[in-house]
Amino acid sequence: MTTDLDTGKITQLLTLSTKQLDARTLSALSNARQKALERQAECAPAFAFNAGGEAHNQRQESIQYWVVAGLLAAMLIAGTSFWQHIQEHQTAELDVAILTDDLPIEVFVD
Amino acid sequence: MRSFITGVLLLLCFTSTPASAASVSWHALTHTQREALAPLAQQWDTLPEDQRTRLLKTAKRYPGLTPEQKQRYHSRLEKWSKLTPEQHRAAREKYRAFNKVPAEKREQVKQMVREQEAGKTTAGDSHPAESAR
Repeated sequence: MTTDLDTGKITQLLTLSTKQLDARTLSALSNARQKALERQAECAPAFAFNAGGEAHNQRQESIQYWVVAGLLAAMLIAGTSFWQHIQEHQTAELDVAILTDDLPIEVFVD
Repeated sequence: MRSFITGVLLLLCFTSTPASAASVSWHALTHTQREALAPLAQQWDTLPEDQRTRLLKTAKRYPGLTPEQKQRYHSRLEKWSKLTPEQHRAAREKYRAFNKVPAEKREQVKQMVREQEAGKTTAGDSHPAESAR
């Protein structure tokens, strides 16, 4: 047996059958709906908390970025300064060597 | 964060060259420094700051020199102070290059220079006699 049913008819039938449901089933469905709504309400603050956490994480990442950048800058400055110190030390050593060598200074000076 | 920036700034201050070391006047030098730089006593205060800094660094090594080296250091200091920074740089480069030459060849060069110096001294000694004639 085949019956021609369109979506409108199906909706009408479902609405009709819902009205025919007994009180116990209706109460169970209502409880389930209520629980689902409560669960949804719990999720919303959790999302809000996560959003706050994300902002906190971004701030921390920014601080970390600046700390790393600062450390790199400090290392660069310290390295340059150390290199300069070594260069100056070597230059002073060379100057003394030229000034005290057994060859006259004119040999090295144009 | 603020303390970190302060730390970096402090590091910058400590690592930079102290300006006071360069601008030391002759009277502010220590006894050892004055002894080492004695030939420059007259012109010390007129020398450029960076040159004074360099010379002070060489003067630090003066106490460790032998009497012969001290005498050479003193006799060459004035001429050295009159050279330009470029001439100093060139002299250092030449000295470095000369030290890379094998010891034997270096000794030959030194021998040649000694002979030339001896020749000059002999010629210098004979000149007064010639001019007297």
